Amino acid sequence: MDTSKRRFLKGCGGAIAGVSVYSMTRQPLARDAAEESEVKYAMLHDENLCIGCNACEDACREVNQVPIGVSRVDIVRTGPFGEYPEQSYRFSRHSCQHCEAAPCVKVCPTGAAYIDKETGIVAVNEDRCVGCQYCIAACPYQIRFINPVTKVADKCDFCQQSQLTRGLQPACVLACPTEALVFGNLKDPNSALVKTLKSKPTYRQKVDLGTRPKLFHVRTVDGEIVL
Amino acid sequence: MSAFHFDGLVWHWPIAIYLFLAGLSAGAVFFAIMLKHFKLAERAYLSPFVQAAALIAPIAVCAGLGILVIDLTKPLAFWKILVFYNTSSVMSMGVLVLLVYQLVLFAWIGSVFSLPVNKWLDGRFYLLTKCLTLLARHEDIITGVLVILSLSLGAYTGFLLSALIGFPLLNNPVLPLLFLISGLSSGAAATLLGGVLMRGNPNGIEVKFIHRIEIPMILVEIMLLFTFFAGLILSGGQSQVAALNAIGEGFWGWIFWGGVVGVGLTLPLAFNLWMKVSSDRKFTYVAVTASFSLLGVLLLRNFILYTGQMTGV
Ligand code: SF4
Ligand code: SF4
Ligand code: SF4
Repeated sequence: MDTSKRRFLKGCGGAIAGVSVYSMTRQPLARDAAEESEVKYAMLHDENLCIGCNACEDACREVNQVPIGVSRVDIVRTGPFGEYPEQSYRFSRHSCQHCEAAPCVKVCPTGAAYIDKETGIVAVNEDRCVGCQYCIAACPYQIRFINPVTKVADKCDFCQQSQLTRGLQPACVLACPTEALVFGNLKDPNSALVKTLKSKPTYRQKVDLGTRPKLFHVRTVDGEIVL
Repeated sequence: MSAFHFDGLVWHWPIAIYLFLAGLSAGAVFFAIMLKHFKLAERAYLSPFVQAAALIAPIAVCAGLGILVIDLTKPLAFWKILVFYNTSSVMSMGVLVLLVYQLVLFAWIGSVFSLPVNKWLDGRFYLLTKCLTLLARHEDIITGVLVILSLSLGAYTGFLLSALIGFPLLNNPVLPLLFLISGLSSGAAATLLGGVLMRGNPNGIEVKFIHRIEIPMILVEIMLLFTFFAGLILSGGQSQVAALNAIGEGFWGWIFWGGVVGVGLTLPLAFNLWMKVSSDRKFTYVAVTASFSLLGVLLLRNFILYTGQMTGV
Protein backbone atom coordinates (compact mmCIF):
# COMPACT_ATOMS: atom_id res chain seq x y z
CA MET A 1 0.00 0.00 0.00
CA ASP A 2 2.63 2.50 1.11
CA THR A 3 5.14 1.81 -1.63
CA SER A 4 2.49 1.99 -4.31
CA LYS A 5 1.24 5.26 -2.89
CA ARG A 6 4.75 6.63 -3.03
CA ARG A 7 5.13 5.41 -6.57
CA PHE A 8 1.88 7.10 -7.50
CA LEU A 9 2.98 10.39 -5.97
CA LYS A 10 6.32 10.15 -7.72
CA GLY A 11 4.57 9.60 -11.01
CA CYS A 12 2.40 12.65 -10.43
CA GLY A 13 5.43 14.75 -9.55
CA GLY A 14 7.22 13.60 -12.66
CA ALA A 15 4.23 14.41 -14.84
CA ILE A 16 3.93 17.90 -13.37
CA ALA A 17 7.65 18.57 -13.84
CA GLY A 18 7.46 17.32 -17.41
CA VAL A 19 4.48 19.50 -18.26
CA SER A 20 6.07 22.62 -16.80
CA VAL A 21 9.37 22.09 -18.61
CA TYR A 22 7.47 21.43 -21.82
CA SER A 23 5.43 24.61 -21.56
CA MET A 24 8.53 26.66 -20.71
CA THR A 25 10.37 25.47 -23.76
CA ARG A 26 7.42 25.83 -26.05
CA GLN A 27 6.16 29.34 -25.54
CA PRO A 28 9.12 31.59 -26.45
CA LEU A 29 9.49 29.78 -29.75
CA ALA A 30 5.88 30.37 -30.65
CA ARG A 31 6.27 34.06 -29.91
CA ASP A 32 9.37 34.39 -32.10
CA ALA A 33 7.66 32.91 -35.11
CA ALA A 34 4.75 35.32 -34.78
CA GLU A 35 7.08 38.31 -34.64
CA GLU A 36 9.12 37.40 -37.69
CA SER A 37 6.58 37.94 -40.44
CA GLU A 38 6.59 41.24 -42.33
CA VAL A 39 2.95 41.02 -43.28
CA LYS A 40 -0.12 41.51 -41.15
CA TYR A 41 -3.30 42.02 -43.12
CA ALA A 42 -6.18 44.09 -41.86
CA MET A 43 -9.27 45.77 -43.28
CA LEU A 44 -11.13 49.00 -42.79
CA HIS A 45 -14.76 49.74 -43.56
CA ASP A 46 -15.68 53.40 -43.90
CA GLU A 47 -19.34 53.66 -42.94
CA ASN A 48 -19.49 57.20 -44.34
CA LEU A 49 -18.56 56.01 -47.83
CA CYS A 50 -20.67 52.84 -47.73
CA ILE A 51 -23.96 53.19 -49.60
CA GLY A 52 -25.32 49.74 -48.73
CA CYS A 53 -25.30 48.47 -52.31
CA ASN A 54 -24.31 44.92 -51.24
CA ALA A 55 -21.82 44.60 -54.10
CA CYS A 56 -19.32 43.21 -51.58
CA GLU A 57 -21.70 40.46 -50.50
CA ASP A 58 -22.37 39.40 -54.07
CA ALA A 59 -18.71 39.50 -55.12
CA CYS A 60 -17.69 37.43 -52.10
CA ARG A 61 -20.38 34.87 -52.77
CA GLU A 62 -19.24 34.45 -56.35
CA VAL A 63 -15.49 34.39 -55.84
CA ASN A 64 -15.48 32.19 -52.76
CA GLN A 65 -18.40 29.96 -53.77
CA VAL A 66 -20.46 30.79 -50.72
CA PRO A 67 -23.81 28.95 -50.96
CA ILE A 68 -27.12 30.77 -50.73
CA GLY A 69 -28.45 30.99 -47.20
CA VAL A 70 -25.10 31.71 -45.56
CA SER A 71 -22.63 34.53 -46.08
CA ARG A 72 -19.12 35.58 -45.14
CA VAL A 73 -19.98 39.26 -45.05
CA ASP A 74 -23.20 41.11 -44.25
CA ILE A 75 -23.88 44.80 -44.49
CA VAL A 76 -26.27 45.48 -41.67
CA ARG A 77 -28.59 48.41 -42.24
CA THR A 78 -30.04 50.43 -39.37
CA GLY A 79 -32.35 53.36 -39.61
CA PRO A 80 -33.84 55.41 -41.11
CA PHE A 81 -32.68 58.28 -38.99
CA GLY A 82 -33.95 61.86 -39.19
CA GLU A 83 -37.10 63.37 -40.69
CA TYR A 84 -38.22 63.02 -44.29
CA PRO A 85 -36.73 64.13 -46.71
CA GLU A 86 -33.46 64.33 -44.76
CA GLN A 87 -33.42 60.63 -43.93
CA SER A 88 -30.32 58.50 -43.77
CA TYR A 89 -29.26 54.96 -42.90
CA ARG A 90 -26.28 53.48 -41.17
CA PHE A 91 -24.44 50.57 -42.76
CA SER A 92 -22.07 48.45 -40.74
CA ARG A 93 -19.97 45.54 -41.90
CA HIS A 94 -20.49 42.23 -40.19
CA SER A 95 -17.71 39.75 -40.95
CA CYS A 96 -14.70 38.05 -39.42
CA GLN A 97 -12.57 40.51 -37.44
CA HIS A 98 -9.37 38.46 -37.83
CA CYS A 99 -8.67 38.71 -34.13
CA GLU A 100 -5.05 38.72 -33.04
CA ALA A 101 -6.08 36.73 -29.97
CA ALA A 102 -8.77 34.73 -31.74
CA PRO A 103 -11.16 32.83 -29.46
CA CYS A 104 -12.12 30.55 -32.36
CA VAL A 105 -8.50 29.46 -32.79
CA LYS A 106 -8.08 28.94 -29.08
CA VAL A 107 -11.01 26.56 -28.73
CA CYS A 108 -10.71 24.55 -31.97
CA PRO A 109 -9.81 21.00 -30.88
CA THR A 110 -8.05 20.02 -34.09
CA GLY A 111 -6.28 23.24 -35.04
CA ALA A 112 -8.55 23.58 -38.08
CA ALA A 113 -9.15 27.18 -37.09
CA TYR A 114 -5.69 28.69 -37.18
CA ILE A 115 -3.79 31.93 -37.56
CA ASP A 116 -1.59 32.02 -40.62
CA LYS A 117 1.79 33.05 -39.24
CA GLU A 118 2.84 34.71 -42.50
CA THR A 119 -0.12 37.03 -42.91
CA GLY A 120 -1.95 37.14 -39.59
CA ILE A 121 -5.08 35.90 -41.37
CA VAL A 122 -7.40 33.76 -39.27
CA ALA A 123 -8.09 30.88 -41.62
CA VAL A 124 -9.79 27.48 -41.71
CA ASN A 125 -8.07 24.25 -42.66
CA GLU A 126 -11.00 22.43 -44.26
CA ASP A 127 -9.37 19.02 -44.02
CA ARG A 128 -8.93 19.18 -40.31
CA CYS A 129 -12.34 20.57 -39.39
CA VAL A 130 -14.67 17.99 -37.85
CA GLY A 131 -17.63 20.33 -37.50
CA CYS A 132 -17.86 20.42 -33.72
CA GLN A 133 -19.02 24.04 -33.97
CA TYR A 134 -17.03 25.01 -30.90
CA CYS A 135 -15.50 27.90 -32.85
CA ILE A 136 -18.93 29.14 -33.90
CA ALA A 137 -20.05 29.27 -30.30
CA ALA A 138 -16.77 30.85 -29.19
CA CYS A 139 -16.67 33.70 -31.72
CA PRO A 140 -18.04 36.74 -29.88
CA TYR A 141 -18.87 38.38 -33.21
CA GLN A 142 -21.06 35.44 -34.26
CA ILE A 143 -19.89 35.44 -37.84
CA ARG A 144 -18.82 31.82 -38.30
CA PHE A 145 -21.18 29.32 -39.89
CA ILE A 146 -21.24 25.77 -41.17
CA ASN A 147 -20.99 25.73 -44.94
CA PRO A 148 -23.98 23.58 -45.99
CA VAL A 149 -22.03 22.12 -48.92
CA THR A 150 -18.67 21.30 -47.38
CA LYS A 151 -19.98 20.82 -43.79
CA VAL A 152 -16.96 22.79 -42.64
CA ALA A 153 -16.84 25.87 -40.41
CA ASP A 154 -16.60 28.77 -42.84
CA LYS A 155 -16.03 32.51 -42.66
CA CYS A 156 -14.24 35.42 -44.33
CA ASP A 157 -10.58 34.58 -44.77
CA PHE A 158 -9.60 37.82 -46.51
CA CYS A 159 -9.82 35.77 -49.70
CA GLN A 160 -6.71 33.84 -48.65
CA GLN A 161 -7.67 30.86 -50.81
CA SER A 162 -9.01 32.80 -53.79
CA GLN A 163 -7.85 36.33 -54.58
CA LEU A 164 -4.66 36.58 -52.51
CA THR A 165 -3.13 33.49 -54.10
CA ARG A 166 -3.44 35.32 -57.42
CA GLY A 167 -1.94 38.52 -56.05
CA LEU A 168 -5.26 40.32 -56.12
CA GLN A 169 -7.05 42.36 -53.49
CA PRO A 170 -10.04 40.68 -51.80
CA ALA A 171 -13.16 40.42 -53.93
CA CYS A 172 -15.29 42.65 -51.73
CA VAL A 173 -12.67 45.41 -51.79
CA LEU A 174 -12.45 45.33 -55.59
CA ALA A 175 -16.23 45.26 -55.96
CA CYS A 176 -16.95 48.25 -53.76
CA PRO A 177 -18.00 51.20 -56.02
CA THR A 178 -17.28 53.86 -53.39
CA GLU A 179 -13.98 52.47 -52.10
CA ALA A 180 -15.43 52.16 -48.65
CA LEU A 181 -13.24 49.10 -48.02
CA VAL A 182 -9.49 49.40 -47.59
CA PHE A 183 -7.38 46.27 -47.30
CA GLY A 184 -3.65 46.18 -46.66
CA ASN A 185 -0.59 45.40 -44.61
CA LEU A 186 -0.56 46.91 -41.12
CA LYS A 187 3.22 46.65 -40.99
CA ASP A 188 3.74 48.75 -44.11
CA PRO A 189 3.63 52.44 -43.10
CA ASN A 190 3.12 53.50 -46.72
CA SER A 191 0.08 51.31 -47.34
CA ALA A 192 -3.24 52.94 -48.03
CA LEU A 193 -4.59 51.09 -45.01
CA VAL A 194 -2.12 52.54 -42.51
CA LYS A 195 -2.50 56.00 -44.01
CA THR A 196 -6.28 55.84 -43.68
CA LEU A 197 -6.02 54.48 -40.14
CA LYS A 198 -3.82 57.41 -39.20
CA SER A 199 -6.00 60.05 -40.81
CA LYS A 200 -9.48 58.94 -39.74
CA PRO A 201 -10.77 58.04 -36.29
CA THR A 202 -11.76 54.38 -36.23
CA TYR A 203 -13.35 51.96 -33.84
CA ARG A 204 -13.28 48.19 -33.43
CA GLN A 205 -15.99 46.04 -31.96
CA LYS A 206 -15.94 44.46 -28.51
CA VAL A 207 -12.29 45.31 -27.82
CA ASP A 208 -12.94 44.85 -24.11
CA LEU A 209 -13.01 41.09 -24.68
CA GLY A 210 -9.30 41.18 -25.45
CA THR A 211 -9.69 39.71 -28.94
CA ARG A 212 -7.69 42.52 -30.61
CA PRO A 213 -9.68 42.55 -33.87
CA LYS A 214 -8.13 43.64 -37.17
CA LEU A 215 -11.33 44.89 -38.77
CA PHE A 216 -11.52 48.65 -38.33
CA HIS A 217 -14.60 50.80 -38.83
CA VAL A 218 -14.97 54.50 -39.49
CA ARG A 219 -18.10 55.58 -37.65
CA THR A 220 -20.82 57.08 -39.74
CA VAL A 221 -22.04 60.62 -39.17
CA ASP A 222 -25.56 59.22 -39.58
CA GLY A 223 -27.46 57.38 -36.95
CA GLU A 224 -28.11 58.07 -33.35
CA ILE A 225 -26.03 58.13 -30.23
CA VAL A 226 -26.75 55.04 -28.18
CA LEU A 227 -25.83 55.06 -24.52
CA MET B 1 -38.06 34.44 -29.24
CA SER B 2 -38.90 30.79 -28.75
CA ALA B 3 -37.24 28.73 -26.07
CA PHE B 4 -35.50 26.26 -28.38
CA HIS B 5 -34.86 28.33 -31.49
CA PHE B 6 -33.29 31.75 -31.44
CA ASP B 7 -30.56 33.78 -33.10
CA GLY B 8 -27.09 32.87 -31.99
CA LEU B 9 -28.04 29.38 -30.84
CA VAL B 10 -25.20 27.07 -31.86
CA TRP B 11 -25.25 24.14 -29.48
CA HIS B 12 -28.51 22.26 -29.02
CA TRP B 13 -29.77 19.72 -26.51
CA PRO B 14 -27.50 16.85 -27.63
CA ILE B 15 -24.61 18.78 -26.12
CA ALA B 16 -26.56 19.16 -22.88
CA ILE B 17 -27.14 15.40 -22.80
CA TYR B 18 -23.48 14.78 -23.50
CA LEU B 19 -22.48 17.05 -20.61
CA PHE B 20 -25.05 15.35 -18.41
CA LEU B 21 -23.84 11.84 -19.20
CA ALA B 22 -20.16 12.70 -18.81
CA GLY B 23 -20.82 14.27 -15.40
CA LEU B 24 -23.04 11.37 -14.38
CA SER B 25 -20.38 8.84 -15.28
CA ALA B 26 -17.74 10.71 -13.32
CA GLY B 27 -20.08 11.02 -10.34
CA ALA B 28 -21.06 7.33 -10.33
CA VAL B 29 -17.42 6.26 -10.36
CA PHE B 30 -16.55 8.74 -7.66
CA PHE B 31 -19.23 7.38 -5.34
CA ALA B 32 -18.45 3.77 -6.11
CA ILE B 33 -14.84 4.44 -5.11
CA MET B 34 -15.93 6.21 -1.94
CA LEU B 35 -18.26 3.34 -1.08
CA LYS B 36 -15.53 0.82 -1.54
CA HIS B 37 -12.91 2.82 0.30
CA PHE B 38 -14.91 3.91 3.33
CA LYS B 39 -17.55 1.23 3.77
CA LEU B 40 -17.29 -1.96 1.80
CA ALA B 41 -13.57 -2.67 1.29
CA GLU B 42 -12.99 -6.18 -0.10
CA ARG B 43 -16.69 -6.99 -0.27
CA ALA B 44 -17.39 -4.12 -2.65
CA TYR B 45 -18.01 -6.37 -5.65
CA LEU B 46 -20.93 -7.97 -3.81
CA SER B 47 -22.79 -4.68 -3.44
CA PRO B 48 -25.53 -4.06 -6.02
CA PHE B 49 -24.75 -0.36 -5.73
CA VAL B 50 -21.12 -0.75 -6.74
CA GLN B 51 -22.23 -3.14 -9.47
CA ALA B 52 -24.72 -0.57 -10.71
CA ALA B 53 -22.08 2.15 -10.75
CA ALA B 54 -19.69 -0.14 -12.60
CA LEU B 55 -22.38 -0.63 -15.25
CA ILE B 56 -23.66 2.93 -15.42
CA ALA B 57 -20.30 4.71 -15.59
CA PRO B 58 -18.95 3.12 -18.78
CA ILE B 59 -22.35 3.05 -20.49
CA ALA B 60 -22.99 6.72 -19.74
CA VAL B 61 -19.60 7.93 -20.87
CA CYS B 62 -19.69 5.89 -24.08
CA ALA B 63 -23.23 7.03 -24.86
CA GLY B 64 -22.21 10.62 -24.22
CA LEU B 65 -19.25 10.34 -26.52
CA GLY B 66 -21.48 8.72 -29.12
CA ILE B 67 -23.90 11.63 -28.97
CA LEU B 68 -21.01 14.07 -29.32
CA VAL B 69 -19.78 12.28 -32.43
CA ILE B 70 -23.21 12.08 -34.06
CA ASP B 71 -23.69 15.78 -33.40
CA LEU B 72 -20.60 16.74 -35.45
CA THR B 73 -21.31 17.97 -38.95
CA LYS B 74 -18.70 15.47 -40.13
CA PRO B 75 -19.12 12.46 -37.79
CA LEU B 76 -16.85 10.30 -39.91
CA ALA B 77 -14.00 12.73 -39.37
CA PHE B 78 -14.17 12.18 -35.63
CA TRP B 79 -10.81 10.46 -35.55
CA LYS B 80 -9.19 13.79 -36.37
CA ILE B 81 -10.01 15.04 -32.87
CA LEU B 82 -8.00 12.09 -31.56
CA VAL B 83 -5.07 12.66 -33.89
CA PHE B 84 -4.71 16.44 -33.85
CA TYR B 85 -4.42 18.11 -30.50
CA ASN B 86 -4.64 21.75 -29.54
CA THR B 87 -3.40 22.34 -26.01
CA SER B 88 -5.30 25.62 -25.68
CA SER B 89 -8.63 23.98 -26.54
CA VAL B 90 -10.78 22.79 -23.64
CA MET B 91 -12.52 20.36 -25.95
CA SER B 92 -9.28 18.83 -27.15
CA MET B 93 -7.96 18.41 -23.63
CA GLY B 94 -11.36 17.14 -22.52
CA VAL B 95 -11.38 14.43 -25.15
CA LEU B 96 -7.93 13.42 -23.96
CA VAL B 97 -9.15 13.22 -20.36
CA LEU B 98 -12.21 11.31 -21.56
CA LEU B 99 -10.12 8.69 -23.33
CA VAL B 100 -7.71 8.15 -20.47
CA TYR B 101 -10.66 8.13 -18.09
CA GLN B 102 -12.35 5.36 -20.04
CA LEU B 103 -9.20 3.30 -20.06
CA VAL B 104 -8.57 3.68 -16.34
CA LEU B 105 -12.26 3.14 -15.68
CA PHE B 106 -12.16 -0.28 -17.32
CA ALA B 107 -8.95 -1.09 -15.48
CA TRP B 108 -10.60 -0.17 -12.21
CA ILE B 109 -13.68 -2.26 -12.92
CA GLY B 110 -11.39 -5.13 -13.81
CA SER B 111 -9.48 -4.80 -10.57
CA VAL B 112 -12.57 -4.51 -8.36
CA PHE B 113 -14.29 -7.48 -9.92
CA SER B 114 -11.16 -9.56 -10.45
CA LEU B 115 -12.01 -11.95 -7.62
CA PRO B 116 -15.48 -13.07 -8.77
CA VAL B 117 -14.52 -13.03 -12.44
CA ASN B 118 -11.41 -15.12 -11.89
CA LYS B 119 -13.40 -17.56 -9.81
CA TRP B 120 -15.96 -17.81 -12.58
CA LEU B 121 -13.27 -18.23 -15.25
CA ASP B 122 -11.87 -21.03 -13.15
CA GLY B 123 -8.56 -21.37 -14.90
CA ARG B 124 -9.88 -20.80 -18.42
CA PHE B 125 -8.44 -17.87 -20.41
CA TYR B 126 -5.16 -17.88 -18.55
CA LEU B 127 -4.09 -14.52 -19.99
CA LEU B 128 -7.25 -12.72 -18.88
CA THR B 129 -6.94 -14.13 -15.40
CA LYS B 130 -3.37 -12.97 -15.23
CA CYS B 131 -4.33 -9.51 -16.46
CA LEU B 132 -7.04 -9.16 -13.85
CA THR B 133 -4.72 -10.31 -11.08
CA LEU B 134 -2.19 -7.75 -12.21
CA LEU B 135 -4.83 -5.02 -12.20
CA ALA B 136 -6.00 -6.08 -8.75
CA ARG B 137 -2.46 -5.85 -7.43
CA HIS B 138 -2.25 -2.22 -8.58
CA GLU B 139 -5.74 -1.30 -7.53
CA ASP B 140 -4.66 1.53 -5.24
CA ILE B 141 -2.77 3.36 -7.98
CA ILE B 142 -5.61 2.84 -10.46
CA THR B 143 -8.10 4.11 -7.91
CA GLY B 144 -6.04 7.23 -7.16
CA VAL B 145 -5.67 8.09 -10.82
CA LEU B 146 -9.35 7.41 -11.46
CA VAL B 147 -10.44 9.78 -8.67
CA ILE B 148 -8.38 12.57 -10.23
CA LEU B 149 -9.67 11.76 -13.71
CA SER B 150 -13.29 11.61 -12.65
CA LEU B 151 -13.05 14.99 -10.92
CA SER B 152 -11.34 16.45 -13.99
CA LEU B 153 -14.04 15.02 -16.23
CA GLY B 154 -16.75 16.49 -14.02
CA ALA B 155 -15.14 19.92 -14.06
CA TYR B 156 -14.39 19.70 -17.78
CA THR B 157 -18.08 19.65 -18.61
CA GLY B 158 -18.25 23.14 -17.09
CA PHE B 159 -14.98 24.44 -18.52
CA LEU B 160 -16.16 23.49 -22.00
CA LEU B 161 -18.90 26.10 -21.73
CA SER B 162 -17.05 28.65 -19.64
CA ALA B 163 -14.47 29.06 -22.44
CA LEU B 164 -17.14 30.74 -24.58
CA ILE B 165 -16.18 34.34 -23.85
CA GLY B 166 -19.02 35.86 -25.85
CA PHE B 167 -21.68 34.77 -23.37
CA PRO B 168 -21.58 36.21 -19.84
CA LEU B 169 -23.73 33.45 -18.40
CA LEU B 170 -21.36 30.77 -19.65
CA ASN B 171 -18.05 32.60 -19.35
CA ASN B 172 -18.28 32.36 -15.60
CA PRO B 173 -15.78 30.99 -13.09
CA VAL B 174 -18.47 29.39 -10.94
CA LEU B 175 -19.81 27.26 -13.79
CA PRO B 176 -17.17 24.47 -13.73
CA LEU B 177 -17.63 24.10 -9.99
CA LEU B 178 -21.40 24.06 -10.33
CA PHE B 179 -21.24 21.42 -13.05
CA LEU B 180 -18.74 19.35 -11.07
CA ILE B 181 -20.91 19.27 -7.95
CA SER B 182 -24.16 18.68 -9.82
CA GLY B 183 -22.42 16.00 -11.91
CA LEU B 184 -21.32 14.25 -8.73
CA SER B 185 -24.82 14.38 -7.30
CA SER B 186 -26.29 13.00 -10.53
CA GLY B 187 -23.76 10.16 -10.28
CA ALA B 188 -24.82 9.50 -6.70
CA ALA B 189 -28.46 9.47 -7.75
CA ALA B 190 -27.78 7.12 -10.66
CA THR B 191 -25.87 4.77 -8.37
CA LEU B 192 -28.71 4.72 -5.87
CA LEU B 193 -31.38 4.23 -8.50
CA GLY B 194 -29.42 1.50 -10.28
CA GLY B 195 -28.59 -0.14 -6.97
CA VAL B 196 -32.14 -0.44 -5.72
CA LEU B 197 -33.31 -1.54 -9.15
CA MET B 198 -30.73 -4.31 -8.95
CA ARG B 199 -32.32 -5.40 -5.69
CA GLY B 200 -29.96 -3.54 -3.43
CA ASN B 201 -31.20 -3.02 0.11
CA PRO B 202 -32.80 0.47 0.17
CA ASN B 203 -31.96 0.63 3.86
CA GLY B 204 -28.39 -0.63 3.48
CA ILE B 205 -25.16 1.05 4.53
CA GLU B 206 -24.52 2.17 0.95
CA VAL B 207 -27.71 4.20 0.80
CA LYS B 208 -27.10 5.67 4.24
CA PHE B 209 -23.55 6.60 3.30
CA ILE B 210 -24.50 8.29 0.03
CA HIS B 211 -27.44 10.10 1.54
CA ARG B 212 -25.22 11.48 4.28
CA ILE B 213 -22.98 13.03 1.63
CA GLU B 214 -25.91 14.14 -0.49
CA ILE B 215 -27.39 16.58 2.01
CA PRO B 216 -24.29 18.82 2.26
CA MET B 217 -23.81 18.43 -1.48
CA ILE B 218 -27.27 19.76 -2.25
CA LEU B 219 -26.63 22.67 0.12
CA VAL B 220 -23.36 23.44 -1.67
CA GLU B 221 -25.16 23.25 -4.99
CA ILE B 222 -27.80 25.73 -3.83
CA MET B 223 -25.04 28.03 -2.60
CA LEU B 224 -23.20 27.78 -5.91
CA LEU B 225 -26.37 28.52 -7.89
CA PHE B 226 -26.96 31.54 -5.68
CA THR B 227 -23.36 32.76 -6.11
CA PHE B 228 -23.63 32.15 -9.84
CA PHE B 229 -26.66 34.37 -10.34
CA ALA B 230 -25.91 36.90 -7.61
CA GLY B 231 -22.48 37.40 -9.17
CA LEU B 232 -23.96 37.93 -12.62
CA ILE B 233 -26.61 40.34 -11.40
CA LEU B 234 -24.13 42.37 -9.35
CA SER B 235 -21.76 42.62 -12.34
CA GLY B 236 -24.41 44.65 -14.12
CA GLY B 237 -24.39 45.25 -17.87
CA GLN B 238 -25.00 42.29 -20.15
CA SER B 239 -24.25 39.86 -17.31
CA GLN B 240 -27.23 41.18 -15.44
CA VAL B 241 -29.40 41.11 -18.55
CA ALA B 242 -28.37 37.52 -19.20
CA ALA B 243 -29.10 36.43 -15.64
CA LEU B 244 -32.50 38.10 -15.49
CA ASN B 245 -33.40 36.75 -18.94
CA ALA B 246 -32.62 33.26 -17.70
CA ILE B 247 -34.35 33.14 -14.34
CA GLY B 248 -37.06 35.68 -15.02
CA GLU B 249 -40.44 34.99 -16.56
CA GLY B 250 -40.74 32.69 -19.54
CA PHE B 251 -40.20 29.04 -20.37
CA TRP B 252 -36.66 28.76 -18.99
CA GLY B 253 -37.58 30.67 -15.85
CA TRP B 254 -40.18 27.98 -15.16
CA ILE B 255 -37.68 25.25 -15.85
CA PHE B 256 -35.24 26.86 -13.46
CA TRP B 257 -37.54 27.53 -10.53
CA GLY B 258 -39.81 24.53 -10.95
CA GLY B 259 -37.41 21.97 -12.38
CA VAL B 260 -33.91 22.77 -11.20
CA VAL B 261 -34.63 24.40 -7.85
CA GLY B 262 -37.93 22.69 -7.02
CA VAL B 263 -37.76 19.11 -8.28
CA GLY B 264 -33.97 18.87 -8.51
CA LEU B 265 -32.84 20.40 -5.24
CA THR B 266 -35.61 21.23 -2.77
CA LEU B 267 -37.59 17.99 -2.94
CA PRO B 268 -34.53 15.69 -2.72
CA LEU B 269 -33.25 17.79 0.18
CA ALA B 270 -36.57 17.53 1.97
CA PHE B 271 -36.79 13.78 1.32
CA ASN B 272 -33.23 13.25 2.51
CA LEU B 273 -33.78 15.19 5.70
CA TRP B 274 -36.96 13.26 6.31
CA MET B 275 -35.31 9.93 5.61
CA LYS B 276 -32.60 10.86 8.05
CA VAL B 277 -35.05 11.10 10.93
CA SER B 278 -37.28 8.22 9.93
CA SER B 279 -34.97 5.27 10.29
CA ASP B 280 -36.58 3.10 7.67
CA ARG B 281 -35.92 3.70 3.95
CA LYS B 282 -38.16 2.07 1.38
CA PHE B 283 -37.51 1.30 -2.26
CA THR B 284 -39.90 4.02 -3.47
CA TYR B 285 -38.27 6.71 -1.35
CA VAL B 286 -34.83 6.00 -2.66
CA ALA B 287 -35.95 5.58 -6.25
CA VAL B 288 -38.11 8.70 -6.35
CA THR B 289 -35.51 10.94 -4.68
CA ALA B 290 -32.82 9.70 -7.03
CA SER B 291 -35.04 10.23 -10.08
CA PHE B 292 -35.81 13.76 -8.96
CA SER B 293 -32.15 14.69 -8.61
CA LEU B 294 -31.34 13.11 -11.97
CA LEU B 295 -34.12 15.07 -13.64
CA GLY B 296 -32.97 18.24 -11.91
CA VAL B 297 -29.40 17.91 -13.15
CA LEU B 298 -30.53 17.10 -16.69
CA LEU B 299 -32.73 20.20 -16.66
CA LEU B 300 -29.90 22.29 -15.24
CA ARG B 301 -27.63 21.30 -18.13
CA ASN B 302 -30.26 22.23 -20.71
CA PHE B 303 -31.18 25.41 -18.86
CA ILE B 304 -27.58 26.65 -18.72
CA LEU B 305 -26.84 25.65 -22.32
CA TYR B 306 -29.88 27.36 -23.82
CA THR B 307 -30.17 30.46 -21.65
CA GLY B 308 -26.40 30.85 -21.81
CA GLN B 309 -26.52 31.24 -25.57
CA MET B 310 -29.52 33.54 -25.43
CA THR B 311 -27.63 36.67 -24.33
CA GLY B 312 -24.31 37.65 -25.84
CA VAL B 313 -22.05 40.49 -24.80
S1 SF4 C 1 -14.13 37.41 -35.52
FE1 SF4 C 1 -14.70 35.40 -34.79
S2 SF4 C 1 -14.11 34.03 -36.42
FE2 SF4 C 1 -13.04 35.94 -36.80
S3 SF4 C 1 -11.05 35.68 -35.78
FE3 SF4 C 1 -12.39 36.69 -34.31
S4 SF4 C 1 -13.26 34.98 -33.13
FE4 SF4 C 1 -12.41 34.09 -34.98
S1 SF4 D 1 -16.06 23.38 -36.26
FE1 SF4 D 1 -14.12 22.93 -37.28
S2 SF4 D 1 -12.94 24.81 -37.19
FE2 SF4 D 1 -14.62 25.01 -35.73
S3 SF4 D 1 -13.76 24.36 -33.77
FE3 SF4 D 1 -14.72 22.55 -34.67
S4 SF4 D 1 -13.07 21.59 -35.81
FE4 SF4 D 1 -12.37 23.66 -35.38
S1 SF4 E 1 -12.28 39.55 -47.85
FE1 SF4 E 1 -12.89 37.95 -49.29
S2 SF4 E 1 -13.82 36.40 -47.98
FE2 SF4 E 1 -13.75 38.26 -46.76
S3 SF4 E 1 -15.72 39.22 -47.11
FE3 SF4 E 1 -14.31 40.10 -48.59
S4 SF4 E 1 -14.61 38.83 -50.39
FE4 SF4 E 1 -15.47 37.70 -48.68
